[in-house]
Amino acid sequence: MKTLLVSLTLLFVCCSVFGQTTISGKISDQKGTGIPGANVFIKGTYDGVSSDENGKFNFETAAANKQIITVQALGFKTQEIEIICSGKPLSIQISLTESIDLLTAVTISAGAMEASDVKKSVVLKPIDIVTTSGAMGDITAALLTLPGTSTVGNDGRLFVRGGDASETSIFIDGLQVGNAYGSTAANVPTRNRFSPNLFKGSFFSTGGYSVEYGQALSSALALNTLDMPLRSQGDLSIMSLGGGYTQTFVGKENAVTASANYYNLAPYQSLISQKFDWEKSPASWDTEIAMKQKWGKSGFIKAYAHTEGSSMTIWQPVPGEPGRGDRVRINNRYSYGNLSFRQTGKNDWSFYGGLAYSHNRDLINLNYEPIRQINQVGHAKVVATKDFNPQFSLKNGVEWYLKSFSEERIDDKLKRGLHDHQLNHFLETDYYFSNRLVFRGGLRSGFSTVAKHYWLDPRASLAYKLNNQGQFSIAAGKFHQLPDEKLRVLQNDLQNAEASHYIVNYFIVNNNRTLRAEAFYKTYENLATYSGTDQAPVRIAQTGSGYARGADVFYRDKKTVRNTDFWVTYSFVDSKRKYSVYESKVQPSFAPKHNGSVVLKHFVSRLKSQLGTSWSWNSGYTFNDPNLPGEMQSKTKAYSDLSISWSYLPKPNMILHLACSNVLGRNNVFGYKYASQPDETGFFERTQIGQGATRMIFAGLFITLSKDKTANQLNNL
Amino acid sequence: MKKSLLTIILIFAVMVSVFAQETSYQNVMKTEIAKLDHADSLNRFQQSANAFSRISQLNPKEWQPYYYGALAYIYQGLDGASSLEKRDEALAKAEELIKKAEVISPDNAEIIALEGFKVMAEVSADPASRGQTLSGKVMHNFSKALKIDPKNPRAAVLMAQMEFGMARFFNSGTEKACDLVKLSQRSFEAQNEETLKAALLPTWGKNLADKLSKVCQ
Repeated sequence: MKTLLVSLTLLFVCCSVFGQTTISGKISDQKGTGIPGANVFIKGTYDGVSSDENGKFNFETAAANKQIITVQALGFKTQEIEIICSGKPLSIQISLTESIDLLTAVTISAGAMEASDVKKSVVLKPIDIVTTSGAMGDITAALLTLPGTSTVGNDGRLFVRGGDASETSIFIDGLQVGNAYGSTAANVPTRNRFSPNLFKGSFFSTGGYSVEYGQALSSALALNTLDMPLRSQGDLSIMSLGGGYTQTFVGKENAVTASANYYNLAPYQSLISQKFDWEKSPASWDTEIAMKQKWGKSGFIKAYAHTEGSSMTIWQPVPGEPGRGDRVRINNRYSYGNLSFRQTGKNDWSFYGGLAYSHNRDLINLNYEPIRQINQVGHAKVVATKDFNPQFSLKNGVEWYLKSFSEERIDDKLKRGLHDHQLNHFLETDYYFSNRLVFRGGLRSGFSTVAKHYWLDPRASLAYKLNNQGQFSIAAGKFHQLPDEKLRVLQNDLQNAEASHYIVNYFIVNNNRTLRAEAFYKTYENLATYSGTDQAPVRIAQTGSGYARGADVFYRDKKTVRNTDFWVTYSFVDSKRKYSVYESKVQPSFAPKHNGSVVLKHFVSRLKSQLGTSWSWNSGYTFNDPNLPGEMQSKTKAYSDLSISWSYLPKPNMILHLACSNVLGRNNVFGYKYASQPDETGFFERTQIGQGATRMIFAGLFITLSKDKTANQLNNL
Repeated sequence: MKKSLLTIILIFAVMVSVFAQETSYQNVMKTEIAKLDHADSLNRFQQSANAFSRISQLNPKEWQPYYYGALAYIYQGLDGASSLEKRDEALAKAEELIKKAEVISPDNAEIIALEGFKVMAEVSADPASRGQTLSGKVMHNFSKALKIDPKNPRAAVLMAQMEFGMARFFNSGTEKACDLVKLSQRSFEAQNEETLKAALLPTWGKNLADKLSKVCQ
C-alpha cells in the first residue's frame, strides 16, 4: 500500500513536472517599448497571463506539443505565433504592430468643424448650438461664433471667408435642403428654418471639404438628425414670440415625433419700439413630423417632413423720397421632405442615401405689384463604401439634382422658368498610412442639362498627428457652382463659377482645451457679373474673378475657470472680387477684414442656472458711396454686439430662458442705401441700413411632460 | 487486489478528468470573479479583463464572461487619474462586450443595468459636456432594468446614486434616492449570495448601498 501511494505521488509529480511548460518573454511595440496589460495566452486554453508594466510576462501551461500563442492589446493588431511545448522553458519576444483605431487616429481637420457627442475632433457639442447666448436657438447664429465666418447683421445667413451666402450649401442627413432660410425682405435678417433640437450633430466646413459635397463654392454645412429618441414625451414651449408643442412616441424599433409651432411678433413689437416700419409684423406657423425605423441590426430609415407658412409687410424708406417709401409684402409657403437610409452589408460594405425635395413659394408684392417665385430642389443620392482593410476605404456615390425656378408677374401673366437636371458622381478614398498619417483624395464630376456643361472637381487632403495630440492638416481642391437660379432664368447658358481652396490647419484638443488655427487662400474664376441692380440685372456675363486669403484662430477652454466654458474666435479675411454689380475687384460688403467673437457660459449650481454671454465684433462693412470717386471705397464703423442669457432650471422638467441681444444698445450700421438719382445739388442722398430694433429680448418657458421626471428640455433652449 | 486497486485508480482518474472538464469553466469563472471583486488598481482590472477575454474565447455562448469583462473595463473607465482618451478607450471596449452579452441574453436586467453603469462612467469622465445629454440615457437604462427585474439591487443602487446627484442639484428631498437605497439593501439581504455565486451571477454593489444608506440616516 505504501509503495503504491509513493508511486502514485511520484506519478503525479513526474507528470506535472513533465506536463508544465513555462513560457516567459516580453511584448513590445515596433520601437521595442514594453506594452503593459497585453493578454498573452495559449489559444483554446485558459492558460495565459497579462503582461506587467514593462511588457514582461511569465506563465505555465499544461498544454503539450504544437500550440498557438495569442497576444492581444488595445491599439495593436492581434498576433498569433506557433510554439512547441515540451516541458522546457520557452522565452519569446513578440513585437506588435499598431492597429488603425478610428477612435484615436488622426482625422482630417482642414476646413472642418464638427459638433458631435461621440467624435474626438469636435469644436462644439450639439448642445452648444442651443445654449450659445445671442444665437436665440438659430443654428446659423451659433455657427457665426466659429472661425471663418462673418456676421452680416442685415442678412442673417452664413457668410464664409469672403464668399456670399449662396456659396454655402446645407444638407440634412446628406441630402440638400433648398431655401433653408426663411423668406424675408431685403435688409431684414432671416433665420434657419430648422430647429436645432432635430439634430444630434453637425459638420461645418469652411473650405477644402470632401467630394461628397458639390455645388458649393465656399462652404458646406451637413446636419445629422437624431436617431432613436429615449422616451415618449411631450414638450411644451411658451415664448414671448409664440409657442408650440412636440409629441414623441417611442416604440421598440421605431419612433415618431410630431410638432406644431406658431409665432407672431406683433404683440412683442407693440411693446418694444421698433426701427423698422412694419405694417404687419412677421407671423409664421410650422408643423413637422419625423419618423425613425430601425432596419435590421445596424440599419436605419428616417423620414422627415416639414411645412410652414409665413407673412410680413414692411415699409422701407427710399433715399431722397419723402413718405414711407416702398411697401414690401411677402407671403411664403415652404415644404421639405427627406427620406434617408443607412445599412451595413456583408464583407465590410456599407450603404447610405436617400431622397429629398423642397418646394418654396414666395408671393412678393412690391408696391402692390404681385410677383410669384417658385423654387424647387430635388436630390437623390446613393453611396456605397467598402472598407478593404482598416487602412483603406473607398466611397463611391451617384447623385441626381433637380433645380427648378420660375417667376411670374401675376398682373401681366408674364412667366419664365428654368428646369435643370444635374448628374453627379464622386469617388473618394481614405488611406491611413498609420494612426498618425492619413490621406484623402477624391474626384467629383457633374453635368448640367441646362448649362450643357461638364465639370470635374479633384480634391485632396492630408493630416499628420504629432506626439503631443496636436495635428496638422492640409487640403486643396477645386469647387464648382452654377450661378443663382434668378440669373440663370434670365440667361440659361450660364456656366459654373469655379473656386480653388488651399488650406493649412493645426488642431489640438487636450484636457478640455481646444486650439484650432488655420490659414487659407482661395481664388474665384468665372463669377457672374451684371449691370443694373440685384433685382433687375442686365447684361449678365461671367467675367468676374477674385480671391480671399487670411487666417483664423479658435480657442476653447472648459478647464481653466471652474464651471465655466468659453471660446474665443478671431478671423482675418482679405478678400477682393469683381462680381455682381462691381465693375472692378473690390472688397465685398459682406467680408469685413477683422472678425471676432467671445462666447462664455458659466454654470451656477446654487442658482440652478446657466449664465451666458457672447460678444461678436467686426471691423465694419464696405459700401459704395456714389458721391465719392471709385467703387466700394467707404466703410461703416465697427460692428459690435454683446448679448446675455440666463437659463434657469427650477425643476428637472422645466426651463426658463431669458435672453437679450445688444445689451449695450449700440447702433450698428450694416451699410447705406443711396438714391438712384442725385438731387438738384448733384448729391446722392442715403438712408442707413441698420438693426430692426436696438435690442431683441426673448423670454421662454419650456416644459417636458413624461413619465420620466428627469427628462428635460435643456436641448431645446 | 492490485488489479482492483488499479481499476479504482483508473476510474477515479477518469472521473477526475471528466469532473475537471465539466467544472473548469465554473471554477475559472469563480476564481476570476473573486479576483475582480478584490481588484483595486488599473493593472488588476486589466488583468481581470484579459482573464475574462480568455474565458470567452473558449465559451463564446456564455454571457457572463463578457459581462464581467465589461465590468472590468468600466472600472478602468471610472479611474479619475487616467486621461479622458484612456477612459473612453476602456469604455468603448466595455460597450463592445456588453453588445456581445446582449446578443446572447437579450432583455437581461443585469446587462441593461451594466449598460447604464457604463454610460454613467462616460458622464463621470467628462461631466461638464456629457451630463446634460447623457444623464437621461443613464436613467433610462436603470428604469428599463428595474422594469424587467423590479428587485435588481444594482440597478436600484446606481439609480439611487443618480437621484442623489439630482436632489443635490435641485436642492430637493432625497426621499426617492433613499427609497431606492432601501429597496437595493432589501434585495441584497433577501438573496442568497452563495447560490448566485454558484450560478456565476453578479453580486456586486452591496458596499455602495451600505455607503449610501448612511447618507439617508
